Amino acid sequence: MKLLRRSSLRFLARHPGQIVLTVAGVALGVAVVVAIDLAIQSAREAFRVSTETVAGRATHQIEAGPGGLPDSVFTQVRVGLGIREAAPVVDGYASSAALPGRALRILGVDPFSEEPFRPYLAPGGGPELDVGVLLSRSGTVLLSRSTAEEAGVVAGDALDLVVGGDRLVVEVAGTLVPDGGLGQQGLRDLILTDVSTAQRLLDLGGRLSRIDLALNASDGSAADEEEILARIESLLPAGAILRTTGTRSEQMSGMLSAFDLNLTALSLLALVFGMFLIYNAMTFSVVQRRELLGALRAVGVTRREILRLVLGEALLTGALGSVLGLALGVLLGRGLVLLVTQTINDLYFVVSVESLSTPPVVLLKGLALGLGATFLAGIPALTEAVNAPPRASLTRSVVEDRARDLVPRAALLGLGLGVLGALALLIPSRSLLLSFGGLFAVLLGIALLTPLATMALVRLFRPILSRTVGILGTMAVRGVSTSLSRTAPAVAALVVAVAVTVGLGTMIASFRGTVVRWLDHTLQADIYVTGPSAMASRPGGTLSPGLVSRLTTAVPDLEGFSTYRGSTLATGDGDIRLVALDLHPRGEAAFAFLEGSAAEAFPLFRAGEGVLVSEPLAYRRGLSLGDPVELPGPDGPVVLRVAGVFSDYGSDQGVVMMARSAYDRLFDDPRITSLGLFLEPGVDPEETIAVLQSRLAEGEVVSIQSNRALRQGSLEVFDRTFAITGVLRGLAFVVAFIGVLSALMALQLERARELGVLRANGLTPGQVWTLVTTQTGVMGVAAGLLAVPAGIILAVVMIFVVNKRSFGWTLQLELGPSMVLQAVGMAVLGALLAGLYPAWRMSRTSPGLALRAE
Amino acid sequence: MAGVDLPSLSERDRTLFRRRHLGFVFQFFNLLPTLTVLENLLLPLELKGAVGEAEETRARSLLERVGLETRGDAFPDRLSGGEQQRIALARALVHEPDLILADEPTGNLDPETGGRVLDLLDGLVREGGRTLLAVTHSRELADRADRVLQLEHGLVHERVRV
Repeated sequence: MKLLRRSSLRFLARHPGQIVLTVAGVALGVAVVVAIDLAIQSAREAFRVSTETVAGRATHQIEAGPGGLPDSVFTQVRVGLGIREAAPVVDGYASSAALPGRALRILGVDPFSEEPFRPYLAPGGGPELDVGVLLSRSGTVLLSRSTAEEAGVVAGDALDLVVGGDRLVVEVAGTLVPDGGLGQQGLRDLILTDVSTAQRLLDLGGRLSRIDLALNASDGSAADEEEILARIESLLPAGAILRTTGTRSEQMSGMLSAFDLNLTALSLLALVFGMFLIYNAMTFSVVQRRELLGALRAVGVTRREILRLVLGEALLTGALGSVLGLALGVLLGRGLVLLVTQTINDLYFVVSVESLSTPPVVLLKGLALGLGATFLAGIPALTEAVNAPPRASLTRSVVEDRARDLVPRAALLGLGLGVLGALALLIPSRSLLLSFGGLFAVLLGIALLTPLATMALVRLFRPILSRTVGILGTMAVRGVSTSLSRTAPAVAALVVAVAVTVGLGTMIASFRGTVVRWLDHTLQADIYVTGPSAMASRPGGTLSPGLVSRLTTAVPDLEGFSTYRGSTLATGDGDIRLVALDLHPRGEAAFAFLEGSAAEAFPLFRAGEGVLVSEPLAYRRGLSLGDPVELPGPDGPVVLRVAGVFSDYGSDQGVVMMARSAYDRLFDDPRITSLGLFLEPGVDPEETIAVLQSRLAEGEVVSIQSNRALRQGSLEVFDRTFAITGVLRGLAFVVAFIGVLSALMALQLERARELGVLRANGLTPGQVWTLVTTQTGVMGVAAGLLAVPAGIILAVVMIFVVNKRSFGWTLQLELGPSMVLQAVGMAVLGALLAGLYPAWRMSRTSPGLALRAE
Repeated sequence: MAGVDLPSLSERDRTLFRRRHLGFVFQFFNLLPTLTVLENLLLPLELKGAVGEAEETRARSLLERVGLETRGDAFPDRLSGGEQQRIALARALVHEPDLILADEPTGNLDPETGGRVLDLLDGLVREGGRTLLAVTHSRELADRADRVLQLEHGLVHERVRV
């Protein structure tokens, strides 16, 4: 059907605006989904590569508790058990003024044990590599060439490092050049050195972080391997655990799943708005062509041929939009990956992304989503086109009658969907898919209820507007209900867009308010001293005992202090963050108990008989008051009972708090990570900080912050972690706004003839403005009023269901009149802005031209 | 019609029947705005089968018959009402249908143009030995018909020529 195709292509070419809108709808939606997907995949990929670079070909790892693994374990494994393929590793983080803001990973290895694991590190591993120098000269390190260039150092230069509050100097012995097995990504921010230098740098004298093992390298049977594993297990000191390398990276990667799903759901929302755009542009293009399609049918074109024609158009624009969306997504992804990695660094683990990776599977998924969305959004238009009767007399009013008939049915369906969604949300499950499924059902339900609600509101507005604006007001209001097939989807899209924007805004504001209140009572000390850290949300380095005693004796007006030691314990079902707390009585007020009370919990806690667990951990592991918590201690498993569950927003993985006295008894680890100082009333913290700074020895780097500065810093981290949500919220709104713009434009352009008649009868351009803007204004007000309850529902679901199930914390909902004003204002402004162009165009069109038939 | 029981046909078969046996002339022309004048004529031929040189020659000669041979590459919106209706006539006849259905074919034209269009329609239909079934208010058109059925106060009766 050459001529039919030609006719369809010419139609598209004559309506570039519609094509642009459809393509833009697909492209924007696909771009946001692909960008988020790529950003998260890149972060995961960077994490996997860096884990692989560091883990090499190890199949198993023996991991130590917080105090490290004695050197002797390595000797026992290698000599006692005769396992030749074993390598000792000392691992930790440092920072450097030469590479500001970057967490540098110190990896201490024994080059002679490296061959089976990281052949590139074994002697002779690379043409330019002289690992021997690491062994012959203590205090030397190797950096990747690019890291060295960024730090501005070459072989032979000294490099300043800050590790655990101490400034240390190492010598750069050479650079590592990436090759096939050793990617640029894996080597980024890696400081390679020998075991003893790493032990000295990280203050781990005689201790290892872990031992890498390659157990299935030999051709032994599975039974042999099990026996070897059992023999290794019997050698391990308590607190150490043997696990496969995969388990650990899987667990780390698993920490991201809720974060990932939340962002993906948000990005899908942008695609849904994109679908609305497609729906609109496609229905418009079919409605516009009803006569043409009717004529074609009369001439003898079958329904199937019409379907093929319109479907072809949809697929063409869908494919164009998807491809454009992929390109746009990669560009957008480059920006988003920085925000995503920043959030992962702040909340989960250290990862550094060198570049955006673009796995073909993500791109294919984006393409499929784009085409699928186009097809789904095009179904109403396709049905309309196929059902065009073989006569050319069907009028606009027939379409509108049909649309009005659909209103009660749509409302009923919407109500049903809303109830179904609400039920899904009420099911006491932790499934996030179920939560988001329920949320989408509720949103869709609201959208389907919109036409009915709009008609009711319009009926309310009519007397008011006819009294204030006159006949034009009546016409404007009536236009909303007589062109329901155009106005209802526009209002629905505006309602959902504003509800999402306002609902997410309320969620973030509630979250922030909750965190502010939490910080207010959690940060009880006047001054905090911490070592530099690789992660913003928790202190990392340790403070030497000398420093602690120097600082605590330097202040005459000190009422007392708390000490804090955070460490991560490896357990069979994931890592547990353990915090040992020497708590000053004034610090007790920092805990807000959700289960148990201060009066009952603290005596048990101080006696070392109970631990305090944070809400996310209790939620994740189903812990309740009195339940046992098992922790791997150096002398065997330690079982303590839950003495209280407290609210905590510092980590979604959760923490166990233990009294310092119990920690000292159970764990062989005297270190302190941070210090909270309580001053006598009336003492100026800033002056005290100056005194403390003066007591720091040469080369000691610690952060000393007042309560206010730490609070400020914590909120900055909070805002940073929500930056990505804010960007997505904005993007979704932009897509929705373009959708509303296109719907209103279609509406007004369709009325060109009617407006032409009015102009011919004496309506001035100014009155056309009044007519068009009154109508879009009415739609905006209706959308705003409907968006308020919708936004509240959304915020409630996000706060009490999605956040609880994703991260395990309870937030307090904060609603105010500003939210209502924001919703109505945003909808009216959006609708008025979207009405500007049609109003301008219509007021300029000459009546003659508008009346002339195509 | 033509030995086919039309009500018993499926929607698709009815469409195919239309394609082969019927031609339409509308009051509002209903030319396809996205096809040129010549392409509008070629469409019914293409729907019936592939378009070759013979079909194109036929379309061009029909254009000549309606006096618009120079407007083949123009789009319909560049034509006057009378010209558009002449193209519509040519389109209704180009695929040699057995029956042409016309709905007020001159209803949208001034009397002079309408008269010329009628001459053309009448001539072309009779030349080809085809049947034309027209609905009209125009006495002029009715007077040319071989048989006239009149709808009056809800009743159909045959007008007998005197």
